[in-house]
Amino acid sequence: MAKKLIEIKNIVKTFDKQVVLKGISLDIMENEFVTLLGPSGCGKTTLLRIIAGFLDATEGHVIMDGEDIASIPAYKRDVNTVFQHYALFPHLDVYDNIAFGLTIKKEPKDIIDQKVTRMISLVGLEGFEHKDVTLLSGGQQQRVAIARALVNEPKVLLLDESLSALDKNLRKEMQLELKEIQREVGITFIFVTHDQEEALTMSDKIVIMKDGDIEQIGTPADVYNEPINEYCARFIGDSNIIDGVMKKDNLVSFDDEDYKCTDYGFAENEPVDIVIRPEDIDIVARNRGLLNGEVKSSLFKGVHYEIIAETSSGTSKTVMMHVTGEHDVVNKEAHERISASSFMMDLEDVASLSDSEVIARANAQAWTDDEEDVSLTDISYDVNNEVGVYDCTIGTSAGTKITIKINVVKPRAVEDAENEESIQAFDFFRTVDEIKESVALDTDLIRWADAYAWSTEDNSRVEIWDVKYDFDDQNITEGLYPITFSTQGRELKIETTDKHEVGERVGLQWSPEDIHVMKKMG
Amino acid sequence: MKSFAKLTIPYIVWMTIMIIVPMLMIVLYAVTVQGNDVLTFQFTFSNFIRFFQDSIFPTVLWRSLTMAFFTTLICIAIGYPMAYAMAKLKPRSQAIMVLLVTLPMWINMLVRTYAWKGILSNFDLSSEICVYIGMVYNFLPFMILQIYTSLSKIDENLIIASHDLGANDRQTFLRVVLPLSLSGVISGITLVFLPAVSSFFIPKLLGGGQYVLIGNLIEDYFISTGDWNFGSAISLIMAIIILISMYVTKKLDKEPPEVND
Repeated sequence: MAKKLIEIKNIVKTFDKQVVLKGISLDIMENEFVTLLGPSGCGKTTLLRIIAGFLDATEGHVIMDGEDIASIPAYKRDVNTVFQHYALFPHLDVYDNIAFGLTIKKEPKDIIDQKVTRMISLVGLEGFEHKDVTLLSGGQQQRVAIARALVNEPKVLLLDESLSALDKNLRKEMQLELKEIQREVGITFIFVTHDQEEALTMSDKIVIMKDGDIEQIGTPADVYNEPINEYCARFIGDSNIIDGVMKKDNLVSFDDEDYKCTDYGFAENEPVDIVIRPEDIDIVARNRGLLNGEVKSSLFKGVHYEIIAETSSGTSKTVMMHVTGEHDVVNKEAHERISASSFMMDLEDVASLSDSEVIARANAQAWTDDEEDVSLTDISYDVNNEVGVYDCTIGTSAGTKITIKINVVKPRAVEDAENEESIQAFDFFRTVDEIKESVALDTDLIRWADAYAWSTEDNSRVEIWDVKYDFDDQNITEGLYPITFSTQGRELKIETTDKHEVGERVGLQWSPEDIHVMKKMG
Repeated sequence: MKSFAKLTIPYIVWMTIMIIVPMLMIVLYAVTVQGNDVLTFQFTFSNFIRFFQDSIFPTVLWRSLTMAFFTTLICIAIGYPMAYAMAKLKPRSQAIMVLLVTLPMWINMLVRTYAWKGILSNFDLSSEICVYIGMVYNFLPFMILQIYTSLSKIDENLIIASHDLGANDRQTFLRVVLPLSLSGVISGITLVFLPAVSSFFIPKLLGGGQYVLIGNLIEDYFISTGDWNFGSAISLIMAIIILISMYVTKKLDKEPPEVND
């Protein structure tokens, strides 16, 4: 078992009353590659700076080799840092940058030469010794920064987002190289990053941080396969995260189906989050898998396809769209025209009905022969607070008038107990031209039908995910058309090397150990 | 770009009339003798020979150079710590300090020097010390601002990095801060040494006529004696010395390139 090198005990850090670290405790072993992973603002860099000695902790201790190092200034610590933007000394060349620490320690010239030369070959910068550091590429500057830190033979090397300034290919190359260097020099590396891929490739231990707290500590395989909560699962890799219920040990349920799993130790019927990694789901023939689905989209990603399959549809409601021809009223004397459509409305909304609301719902407009808009000033309606059909007249000051019907109805919402969602929408009247002129038809249809979906659990609004209709909006004629609005169903992301067409009906299969059940965050 | 190039024409014309032509005339005067008709120039080096033969002129020249040298040295000695302290302040305080340093420049240099004359007359000081006080007072802001600018451009991470690599505060200053601020010191030297070496009204006002510098000599020959030829010769010698010193400072001032990130 490796020896404990650094013990971080209950570190708290506040800046101007803002708590950045909320009591971090962490053990770091000798010769370990530890990654502090988290989004910006989670406190990972602050923790690194406390270890380096650039910042003092408000509370807690950093113990290195059994000794509290709080009172030891940065320049006396056995720790060196590779900075985010490298912070190379611009007035020194490559050799002198690397030799800086040794020169400070007044080591003999031949020893300095020997050590610097070894470092230069470790990071592969032979031939660049007397180059101006400001003329080097990002990757080369990075290597100088690593060599400059390592030449001092620290017990710990701290790397602060050190790869983030490099381009993607170089970053991948440096990941491998860093790991290789760490293996070769055999010291502890503490690496700070927000990039989960970097963390997974290089680390022996990943520390996932959030809002100044540690969420999970584990090996890359642990945190990938066994994330402890939704946050960690989302941070590490692509996942399907599903609300479910733990029926009993080794049996979890979601979307009204039970599935075997290998997790246990939860309360009976405890609500949980379920993770299924996209690469763990296999596509099989319909009815041969654990559940069926329809391919919604398929993206080619190089090695694999990323497929979205819908396994259960959302809550939906179908309404009728009454399409009428032109029904403009012409007022020849005033050289004006007016148009408006009858509409249906919810009984609940009658109380708040206003002139401008009537104009909007009826899509009323008036214009002159020269196509100039005319304002609608004369609006009269007498709508009672009960179900029924009422006349409404809309007119201009010149006396141009149109009469429409307002249908006050009690809405029949479709409720889906399984999805715990409700959706409602109204039949509506529109002219051929209005449909042809719509630039965003789906959005307009939702607005015209006043379609609305909400969660029956907490009444929060649910997005209308899909609008289905079977007409060609540019060649529509008068008549009745059904339109279906629905919410998002269950969609699963799948990574597979096989190609599947959109619309294909498939079966989905996984084994019980591919399901990972997590406690709800709270 | 081509059309913009034409905008430089007025400046070029101005430069030619006001700088190049007078310079050429100085050269012309310096190599001729008094009483020439415009059509019958008599070329001669007698003005230069006179300068170096009479021991008084090289003595004054040497005095001017040492005076300017020590003025510059004192300005660095006072200006560097001042600029360093300014660069360490909070941004708001820094702005106020820059304002305070530049504030005296809002008043004409001549007026301020007269004020010093009044103040210094209350004390029994040698004329040399009075001239030094006037020189340092007038040129110090240039030194402070140049050094302050180069210090405030230094990336804070470099100082942290230096600590990280084992350097204490003193070592960090000597090995990182000082080398990186050197370019500011050198431009400060240019801005202080050059005007100091040729200054004439400060020694005239504060030296009380007892402390003659090269600038005063030139002024005397032009205004009092009316010997423009000899005055031009002294000016030319001064110009060459200034040219050489500018070349030397330019050589020293290899500004470190900006850090890429």
